[in-house]
Amino acid sequence: MDKQTIELLALRAGLARALADFPDDVEAAAKQAVSVLEKIKQPTDPAAEPWPPMRAGDGL
Amino acid sequence: MRDGSLSELHWLGVAEAAHAIAHDKLSPVELLEALLARIDALDPKLNAFIRLDREPALEAARAAESEARAGRLRGPLHGVPVGIKDIIDVAGLPTTCHSKILEDRRAKADAHCVQKLRAAGAIVLGKLATHEFAIGGPSFDLPWPPARNPWNTDHHPGGSSSGSGAGVAAGLFPMALGSDTGGSVRNPASCCGIVGLKPTYGLVSRRGVFPLSFTLDHIGPMTRTVADNALMLEAIAGHDPLDPGSAAASRGHYAAALERPVRDLRVGFVRHFHEVDMPAEPEVTAGLEHVMRTLQMEGAEVRDVQLPSLGEFGAVNRVILQSEAWAIHGTWLRERPGDYGRLARRRLMSGAFYSAGDYVQAQRRRLQMIAEVEEALRSHDVLLCASSMDPACRIDEPADIERTYPRQARTPFNVTGHPALAMMAGLSSAGLPLSVQFVGRYFDEAALFQVARAWEQASGVDGKHPPIA
Repeated sequence: MDKQTIELLALRAGLARALADFPDDVEAAAKQAVSVLEKIKQPTDPAAEPWPPMRAGDGL
Repeated sequence: MRDGSLSELHWLGVAEAAHAIAHDKLSPVELLEALLARIDALDPKLNAFIRLDREPALEAARAAESEARAGRLRGPLHGVPVGIKDIIDVAGLPTTCHSKILEDRRAKADAHCVQKLRAAGAIVLGKLATHEFAIGGPSFDLPWPPARNPWNTDHHPGGSSSGSGAGVAAGLFPMALGSDTGGSVRNPASCCGIVGLKPTYGLVSRRGVFPLSFTLDHIGPMTRTVADNALMLEAIAGHDPLDPGSAAASRGHYAAALERPVRDLRVGFVRHFHEVDMPAEPEVTAGLEHVMRTLQMEGAEVRDVQLPSLGEFGAVNRVILQSEAWAIHGTWLRERPGDYGRLARRRLMSGAFYSAGDYVQAQRRRLQMIAEVEEALRSHDVLLCASSMDPACRIDEPADIERTYPRQARTPFNVTGHPALAMMAGLSSAGLPLSVQFVGRYFDEAALFQVARAWEQASGVDGKHPPIA
């Protein structure tokens, strides 16, 4: 993710103050998010369900 | 002390102390005073406490003493002190989450788990250090210093329940509450050489605990022995209609499992976690092999099993955790970013960079991962795997903290919700604890206590205490 995109996304998320005061932290946070997403195998089955909300009962 | 057989009160376990109090061999006041003296001597080096609630604890101990003398025991923990991680509410005390953000936030009521501990007779000793909001890491830019490891105070005690781990291991109190969203009970248990359990999701109520991630948060007991852990879980488990994630019922009777032999128990060894996915330090690997062989000698049947990779489990945990945490912290991060420590600020802000689709994809993958762990547990009673891939690193080396922090195998079971227990596997050549993790079927914490107790008995790890004085 390039610097311009990071700034755009940060501003969209309302992080203008953090961007001004802690630009390195904003950049590190964005880069960490990108790196984490790359490690997940995206389910290919269109019918694959998300995990349902945790609730009481057997089998979660 | 009315009985000369009780010595070194600070090393008394929960069950031993409760038994001595119930049989008029020990006064709760005497026990508490011994612990307070140890806290006064050692906590300046350990920083386990954010707030020691000395006078109210003494008052509670005096009441417990009167009740015990009158033969009125509140429950199985009567008169036994407990430390509470400072993200968990204790009525009248601040719940700071170790953060400037909540420095002045005072709890109006006890968290459900604290209510249950008090109902069982426990005495709340105070609030314990954590990583900021249970995510930050050991930080020196917060209103309170980070807790330190009693095995070597230059080292990290693990986190985020760091004060809980350090204090239990150092004999400041025999039990503590921690929380675990990505391993935060089991990490300090591993670094400090104690027993830490992340129960099945929903077994212990989260009401009154400051959330980090709604679908990953668990509350768990931290003790020096497996039997004490079972006793503490017995006290805090149970349905809470006011926690939407609370399970309908617990199976209970955990202590009954403790002396069950492990002969013919089917143990799945998840070797690829520490051999392939994140190669562990050789001493950690040797410790795990030793645990495996010991269980085999006790009659357990051990076979290798395959689960999804640790890297992917960790990534799914991060996306879900940071997305849910962003929903909680977004407003403060926008308005008061400077009031967070650097580590928490960086970790929490990542949540701003995931899309709704990223979150749902992680939750879809989560369901597949749950199915894969369930499949492994259909043919095995428990799983055995690494907890930490390294002994605790130095606390003042940010690069080492950054490198070793993710090298762990705990997040998989926050993702899946299965119960998981971490405990000591031995000591490294540098005298720091090594660790092992056992994982069970949903609501079968009894099987974890069974196998953990077998290892504890065979190895004697419960008799090892840090040399701090």
